[in-house]
Amino acid sequence: MFSEIFFFELKYRLNRPATWAYFGILFVFALFLSIGGLTGGSEKVFVNAPYSIATNLNTVSIFGIMLASAIMGVPVYRDIEHGTQHYFFSYPISEKGYILGRFTGSMATLLLVSLGLIFGLIIGFAIGPYAGFEPAERYTNFDFWHFLQPSIFYYWSNLFFSGCIFFALVALTKRIMLAYAGGAILFIIYLVTLTLTQDIENKDLVSLMDPFGLGAIGNLTQYWTPEEQNTLTIPMAGMILWNRLLWVGMGILIFVFTLFRFDFQRFLNKKLGNKKKASIEKEGFSKAVLTEIPKVSRTFSAASNFKLLVRLAWMEFRNITKDLFFKAILIAAVLFLFFDGWFGSPTYGTPMLPMTYYMLEVKSFTYVILIFILIVFMTGEVLHRERGVKYDQIYGALPLPNWVIYGSKFLALVFVCFVLVNMIMVSGVCNQILKGYFNFEFDKYFVDLYLVEFPKYISYVMLAFFVHSLVSKKFLGHVITIAVWAGLFAINSLADIGYNMFLYSYSPGYIISDMNGFGHFLKGQNWFRLYWLGFGLILTVTGLLFWKRGTDSGMKSRIQEAKERFGGKAKLAMFLGVLVWIGAGAVVYYNVSVLNSYTKPDDRRERSANYEKTLSKYNYINQPKFTDVKVAVDLVPEERYASMAGKFIMVNKGKTKIDSLHINWGTEGLLKRELLKLEVNGITLKEGKVYEEFGYKLYALPKPMMPGDTTLMELAIKKGYKGFPNEGSGSDIVYNGTFLNNNFFPSFGYSLQGELTSDKYRKEYELSEKDYVAPSQDDEWGLSNLLFNDDADYITFEGTVSTAPDQIAIMPGYLQKEWVENGRKFYKYKMEGEMDYFFNVSSATYEIYKEDWKGKNGDEVAIEIFHHPAHDYNVKRFAKAVRHSLDYFSENYSPYQYRQMRIIEFPRYQSFAQSFPNTVPYAESFGWVGDFSDPEDTDYAYMVTSHEVAHQWWGHQISPSATRGANQISESMAEYSSLMVMKKEYGVDAMQDFLKRELDSYLRGRAGENKFEKTLLDNDTQSYVWYRKGGLILYALQDYIGEKNLNSGFKTFIDSAAFRVKAPFATSNEWYGHIKAVTPDSLQYYLEDSFEKITLYTNKVGESTYKKLDNGNYEVNIEVESFKNYYDGNGKDLGASEKSNLLEIGVFQNDTVVGGMTRKVPLVLEKKWVKPGKSTFTYITDKMPVKVGIDPFNKMIDRIPDDNMKSVEELE
Amino acid sequence: MELKIENLSKTYSNGVQALKNISLTIPQGMFGLLGPNGAGKSSLMRTMATLQKADSGSIQMGDVDILKDTDQVREILGYLPQEFGVYPKVTSYKMLDHIASLKGVSNKGERKELVEALLNKTNLWHVKDKNLGTYSGGMKQRFGIAQALIGSPKLIIVDEPTAGLDPAERVRFHNLLSEIGENTIIILSTHIVEDVANLCKDMAIICLGEVVAQGNPTELTQRVQGKIWKKMIDKQDLDAYKAEHQVISTHLKAGRTMIHIHSEAKPDSSFEASPANLEDVYFTEITSRLQDVTV
Repeated sequence: MFSEIFFFELKYRLNRPATWAYFGILFVFALFLSIGGLTGGSEKVFVNAPYSIATNLNTVSIFGIMLASAIMGVPVYRDIEHGTQHYFFSYPISEKGYILGRFTGSMATLLLVSLGLIFGLIIGFAIGPYAGFEPAERYTNFDFWHFLQPSIFYYWSNLFFSGCIFFALVALTKRIMLAYAGGAILFIIYLVTLTLTQDIENKDLVSLMDPFGLGAIGNLTQYWTPEEQNTLTIPMAGMILWNRLLWVGMGILIFVFTLFRFDFQRFLNKKLGNKKKASIEKEGFSKAVLTEIPKVSRTFSAASNFKLLVRLAWMEFRNITKDLFFKAILIAAVLFLFFDGWFGSPTYGTPMLPMTYYMLEVKSFTYVILIFILIVFMTGEVLHRERGVKYDQIYGALPLPNWVIYGSKFLALVFVCFVLVNMIMVSGVCNQILKGYFNFEFDKYFVDLYLVEFPKYISYVMLAFFVHSLVSKKFLGHVITIAVWAGLFAINSLADIGYNMFLYSYSPGYIISDMNGFGHFLKGQNWFRLYWLGFGLILTVTGLLFWKRGTDSGMKSRIQEAKERFGGKAKLAMFLGVLVWIGAGAVVYYNVSVLNSYTKPDDRRERSANYEKTLSKYNYINQPKFTDVKVAVDLVPEERYASMAGKFIMVNKGKTKIDSLHINWGTEGLLKRELLKLEVNGITLKEGKVYEEFGYKLYALPKPMMPGDTTLMELAIKKGYKGFPNEGSGSDIVYNGTFLNNNFFPSFGYSLQGELTSDKYRKEYELSEKDYVAPSQDDEWGLSNLLFNDDADYITFEGTVSTAPDQIAIMPGYLQKEWVENGRKFYKYKMEGEMDYFFNVSSATYEIYKEDWKGKNGDEVAIEIFHHPAHDYNVKRFAKAVRHSLDYFSENYSPYQYRQMRIIEFPRYQSFAQSFPNTVPYAESFGWVGDFSDPEDTDYAYMVTSHEVAHQWWGHQISPSATRGANQISESMAEYSSLMVMKKEYGVDAMQDFLKRELDSYLRGRAGENKFEKTLLDNDTQSYVWYRKGGLILYALQDYIGEKNLNSGFKTFIDSAAFRVKAPFATSNEWYGHIKAVTPDSLQYYLEDSFEKITLYTNKVGESTYKKLDNGNYEVNIEVESFKNYYDGNGKDLGASEKSNLLEIGVFQNDTVVGGMTRKVPLVLEKKWVKPGKSTFTYITDKMPVKVGIDPFNKMIDRIPDDNMKSVEELE
Repeated sequence: MELKIENLSKTYSNGVQALKNISLTIPQGMFGLLGPNGAGKSSLMRTMATLQKADSGSIQMGDVDILKDTDQVREILGYLPQEFGVYPKVTSYKMLDHIASLKGVSNKGERKELVEALLNKTNLWHVKDKNLGTYSGGMKQRFGIAQALIGSPKLIIVDEPTAGLDPAERVRFHNLLSEIGENTIIILSTHIVEDVANLCKDMAIICLGEVVAQGNPTELTQRVQGKIWKKMIDKQDLDAYKAEHQVISTHLKAGRTMIHIHSEAKPDSSFEASPANLEDVYFTEITSRLQDVTV
């Protein structure tokens, strides 16, 4: 009986076009992925690497739950839908046979459908190398196991357990919509785990909770290098195993429960218990006969129709909001919003204050997916409501104009959208209240939700109405609408076509800032919204024409009907839609493509390639260098333009004469420039050879500059924004919070920055692979230029800046004078002594917080924190970090070169801090609104501030040469310096937490490397090496050789290299020499491992025990395992070292909490020479040991830092 | 005012030709549309009820073009479809009130009076506060007619309203219909001859999308009077008779079969004359077009 039902189910399914449609969708999608090479990750990872296949299968399985709910939800529901339940269950079949048969039949169908993806991938990977979309060398050999293993463990097991849940939901409740709701809720759980991943402390929780296991895979493989991703399958062990057992087990349990619980009678009679039959007929003939039906007046007017429209809309709205599915999804979505808002977007694991802009930002793309699906489903429900209960014929014959019925349904969805946008505000405000934050900023909520978000949702409704009206089958309507949306997403994200005018409902991205509000973004948003609403109106009216009223679904008669419906009112509405669409479209087009321009990523890459091909001949040519710069800046933030005039004294420091200036204006971006003046020694320069496409122009000098010659160049330009662009923040000059730098001026000569970096694309354009951007340490050009700028060595600097009357404008140097002229505020700054050619111009409405610092040598420094008036939360924290940094650096390196240190807030359009001479612009989102109330959280405001202050030494006192490896002098040293200031403030025990994050960033950075990992000595572009690895290595080094000792080496380096006026400028070799000099011979191996090689440890504690001795002491036996392996840049294992390494071994008591921070309490902690492999150590302690460890503070680079410590057990 | 259907044709997208050049004139009063299942009754009814289009032809009622001026038609229309559902969680009172307001009865007081009268009229008063989902088939059908009667429609279309009702319910339903005012066109479709015989003063028989007879029932019966003959035969001889005569109906009686045939003259002496009724008219018309019909 089981097999009969099973085969019937399977045959039935195989005859359904939907089954093959699902199969086809997966198949085509797989071809798209595999041939297009759209698998993400490093360029060095094969498109069909085992790791890529596994993550792709897993990711698809997340969206596959939609298929699982469609396939597994219907087998039982079918009997309800077609009314076969009443006789089908009367056959001699058992409940278990029925359930098992339907279940396994459907599961087999699901499995069959799922093969579409696997076949597609296999075929796609075979075609891929010849298709030309992706270079052939990005494909490796076919290995069936690489498909089978992840399919079993992730792809099929995800489909299986979600399928069990959907099947059970429908079998037990009879509600098909609950299957969809179940799918949405699983998806939301997944989203929640995504939110949690932001903090590395949540690793295990995420690994377990993510229903699809993607989080667990991520946590296990996140440090895998390209080499490992190319060769290893994801092992079924550890948290992944638990995750799979948990979720698959849950699926099985739920199914088994259903199997035993399901019962025909309950299934059929579910509602009968509480259903009272209307009472049997009473004879009331006489009354019925006597009753006269009264004559009534009837009104059919526009006004009464309008009233009916609103009333029906309200009723429909009430129907939607009463719907269980709607409520389930809405509640889940809002919980997700709330949750996301609650955990915020932590920086270094530290939360931020619940700012209104953040509460608005949580409605990100993932939330909108849920909203879109909800809108599509609800539109389907609403448009099919009458048909669903067979009330459509009566309803269709009522004297209601089409626009009233259709309009009322549309209006109801608009109400729903209004509720949805307000839920964002409810979630946000609740979050803020619960966190004790009462600055609600309703103006921000209203503008963002009502002017931007609401119209966006309405355009979704319009699309859904269009599709659901044209396609009169409900489920097909859902599928097509969602496919349209997915198609837009694919075009935009995967195919890289970002022209918003072509992508329905899309608009430029925007960022809300506390400093600058909605700034200049709103105008573009509003025009785009209007443009899409116009188009949406056309869709909606078209929907009205084709929407099915009555019983005829034939194509011919619907077209005939549409023609008849296209009367006066419809024509007027259509005309209005076209008018708005074309009108707003013209405005948008003028702004986006006439005032600004849209360049496809392809074209951008091609231009970069041509730039290199055409102009690299000018690389390293001799150009003059500035020695004195005087600038006059006029900022007009109100209109987002600025002009800058500079007087540059230039010297030919090279060995050849200079005939022409090569001015690299760069390709024009959003900022439009206008040249006002370009003179040398009072003579206007004329354009010589011009490379217009690249903005590269040669100007003959009136008199060639011989080596050693000095001239004066005067250059004035105006730059400003015009209209709004297709995409891009345009954040250099804004209403409040302008942040410009010396790049406002053009630079001399060819710049390597404009080249294509990706080797994949370089090959595509027939350029050779490029391993390094910077020249080697002994290159003459490299040694005679500074890293951050080759237009000048050290310069003297002064400048005047004017700005809006209510703003303060800041540049490096000391304020000489401020005044008001012509209604503008003027400031004059002058730098004492020399600085590198690196200046910023910042302007905003600021409040200033001031502190003084006094050094041991009597130096005095004024600390000034320029902050947005509302952002006074952490200003003291910044000031404290500056004070402590000045303390440490002036004592250990050299005196601070200025009398002033300023920190300046700028809007959150970018998220970084940058150190200019005596001035540090610091992004709004980067610490100003951090919530540091929990001492356990990383005080990154303190950390980043000390890093930036350290750059005044490492970067400004020693400005490194333009050679590879030199950036470590700036960044690794700043990071090390910051760690030292932190250690002094928070104590050595607190450092592990910071180091863990450094380690995590380093290991993830190298895992995603597109070229090859470089060493500390010759790394030129990899920030994970110069910040993360650099910080870790130098921190461990000071721990090994002594902080004072190491710093003495740095001090001699500063003494010899600071403010070096002449080449050769400092290189990494020079820096390394000073480090080597202070390192004892026994530890030179560590320098070699760390600076010259790529070295990873695998340290681990094995079985460790203790026993109590007769004298009350404890004997602890520690078994450790230690390996040290060398790797090449691709992450390939070059073998293990056989030498012993100095590593810390420790015995610990329970952790204590000091000042809110958890700390380890060591009983024994000493550095021992540990040989590779297993070793045993024995210690006697006077207190009871709890934990033991090898390298317990994670000072060495180790990919599994968590197994370095373990609890000890008592030996029986 | 009368309803004139001229040359109406309709072919569905699946190729089925539901209406073939139908022309009918329907006067005021109760009009019966008789035909077997699948004859095109419902297609014709739905076309008149503005729910579907015709490929060609016209329907005119006074100066209203029913195929074009759908908005106007709907204002004077009362329609009870053959199969319809209701919102199960709404009471009949609320639902009628709602439909009344959708039918333009905007005055609250009038609406209340109307709904109450309709509930009384259709004998649903005592269950007016019960959800429609709890109604029996007959109640639901009466609710259906109640909603069709809202707004004193000039054109009432009821599509097989008595199918599935028990005899008592059927009588009640007939009474309801026959009370509706004289100056209304009521079109009743059915495949039960008796309904038409009892209620209608005019009728048409359609079969395979065509009108095969129309007129008043008595007249139509008159036309076959004297041409209907009956005979008791053995079951196994039926086919032989069918080959030779137009057998219009067969009834089983005590193990033998009574056949009725249509013939201008007495076929032979074994047949005896049978007084004609409407049923004979109906079967005469449709048996000449369809094969075996057994009642």
